[in-house]
Amino acid sequence: MHTSSSQVVLEGRGVGRVFGTGALAVRALHPTDIQVRRGEVLVVMGPSGSGKTTLLSLLGLVLSPTEGEVVLDGQVVSEGNPDALALLRRDRVGFVFQQFNLMPGLSALDNVALPLLLRGTPARERTARAREALARVGLSDREAAKPRLLSGGQQQRVAIARALVTDAPVILCDEPTASLDGATGRVVLNTLKALATDLGRAVVVVTHDERVLSIADRLVEVVDGRVHEKASPVVREVHA
Amino acid sequence: MRMLGLALKMLLDAPSKSLGTLAGVVVSVFLMSQQLSILLGILGLVSAFADGTDADLWVASAATENTELTGSLPATRVSEVASTPGVAWAAPVIQGMSRITRPDGVREPVMVVGVEPPRYAGLARTLVDGTRREELRGTARVFLSWTARPVFAFPPRGERLEIDGKTAFVAGYFDKLDPHSSYSYVFANLDDARAYTGFPQDRVTFVAAGVAPGEDAIAVRQRLQARLPDALAVTRDELSAMEVRHFLRRTPVGMVFGMGTMVAAFIGSVIVAITLYSSVIDRLRDYGTLKALGATRRDLFRLLLAQAWLFFAVGCTVGLLAFFFVKAHATQAPMLAPPWMLASVVAASFLSCTLASLAAVRRALAIDPAIVFRG
Repeated sequence: MHTSSSQVVLEGRGVGRVFGTGALAVRALHPTDIQVRRGEVLVVMGPSGSGKTTLLSLLGLVLSPTEGEVVLDGQVVSEGNPDALALLRRDRVGFVFQQFNLMPGLSALDNVALPLLLRGTPARERTARAREALARVGLSDREAAKPRLLSGGQQQRVAIARALVTDAPVILCDEPTASLDGATGRVVLNTLKALATDLGRAVVVVTHDERVLSIADRLVEVVDGRVHEKASPVVREVHA
Repeated sequence: MRMLGLALKMLLDAPSKSLGTLAGVVVSVFLMSQQLSILLGILGLVSAFADGTDADLWVASAATENTELTGSLPATRVSEVASTPGVAWAAPVIQGMSRITRPDGVREPVMVVGVEPPRYAGLARTLVDGTRREELRGTARVFLSWTARPVFAFPPRGERLEIDGKTAFVAGYFDKLDPHSSYSYVFANLDDARAYTGFPQDRVTFVAAGVAPGEDAIAVRQRLQARLPDALAVTRDELSAMEVRHFLRRTPVGMVFGMGTMVAAFIGSVIVAITLYSSVIDRLRDYGTLKALGATRRDLFRLLLAQAWLFFAVGCTVGLLAFFFVKAHATQAPMLAPPWMLASVVAASFLSCTLASLAAVRRALAIDPAIVFRG
């Protein structure tokens, strides 16, 4: 699974994960090489329990690999301490979750500004950039709304705005359309695609939802903890 | 500071739980203040005689435990004290228990204190209602406590009473000198006090003395002690501390109110700890999200500390306001609230809220950020 190295922003080198030890050890992901390039949407599909989310967690530095390493912008980053990994996530990775994971007590604007708050960005700049991100996902008129007053699609777009507000080069999405109806899902997918094409972000989408193939530049399949890249014509076919 | 806004919004998002926690801190601060202030109020009463009179030094029987539990001295000690270097003046004071018979026939216990003109050493420092100390010169004249007027059925000045069956007229009032016991102080001149209490003519209870200008009270006291080895010489502050020590040693009051204060601090701390901890449990996904988004351990520590400190700031303010309200309206209760006591309550509350946040911090730090990927 090799692509042009000049555009590679995120890479797993022989990265794998075993949970537990001894007789109780369970292999979630076999050692895998995977690369993600700037400006592309990489879709990861596979059945439940196949290891998709483990792969996403490893690439997102949320989980440490038991084998191999994760390389971000040419630097091995998977061996840092928890705080070093947190800072890398804060600055270099954006997340979009299936359950949105917005803070219920915060407005849409405050939720979007949260990563900037963690960075220590001054309040005025924080607000300006969060407004800009909300505008990009078409929610300028909902900035004061708390998550409970937003539809599922709107909540997911707020989550996308939160992921892009820090200019992180990598955006990792876990089942971003699973909780959304068809029309809303399409809006979210278009937004994600635009992040890759317009902003040059590397977008990784883990999903069961075949609608996501419509925005895929590449497709990999995870089965029983093994990652297989699918031929691009399949993607184009679905895309078409 | 950057976490303060986020902490506040998280607390406001769970208003009922936050109000419950706040109530815990308010009650804790109120109880700490109230218990401590009553204890200080009682201790103030215990040492009222020493604190409320104007003598710098006191000489008493060597067997003295406090101003109530004391013996007597030969009256000749007065001149010995007066002639000691560094002593500006010395005067006899006697005291003894007796009973006042009110106009309606009710008898009340009193501690009669006899003082000598023209110095009137040992007389309450604060005279009220236009009372002049010279009014004790006349025969059978007594001063009563202003706050104890209800005990004596509010006798007007000039009212005739009986003390130990002998006539006494109310010549004036004093204030800020009330004992912690069930009796009241009554001041009379030396001769009348002896008559009311049957105190021997050749004995005195105390010799009160003043220190000459420029002299050090401790040094003069040491001189007195060396000169009168069979008596006890103490400064006013030492007598006051002696009263307090004796009271705390002989009664459970200090332990009762001290325990009350500690229990209040403990309750406040436990309430904050439980609610903060349970709020972390309720919000595992939120804290997991924060970690996934890049919050460091220090960020989470600051966030939970900010929540604890918000509870402290608001709870402490409301608790102290409630305390001052009660203090202003509960005039019967002896409550003292010096600045150091209020500062101690604030510090204890701050400490308990801070410590209470540690369990929640520990739980938040243990959250696996991968929780955000679970459905």
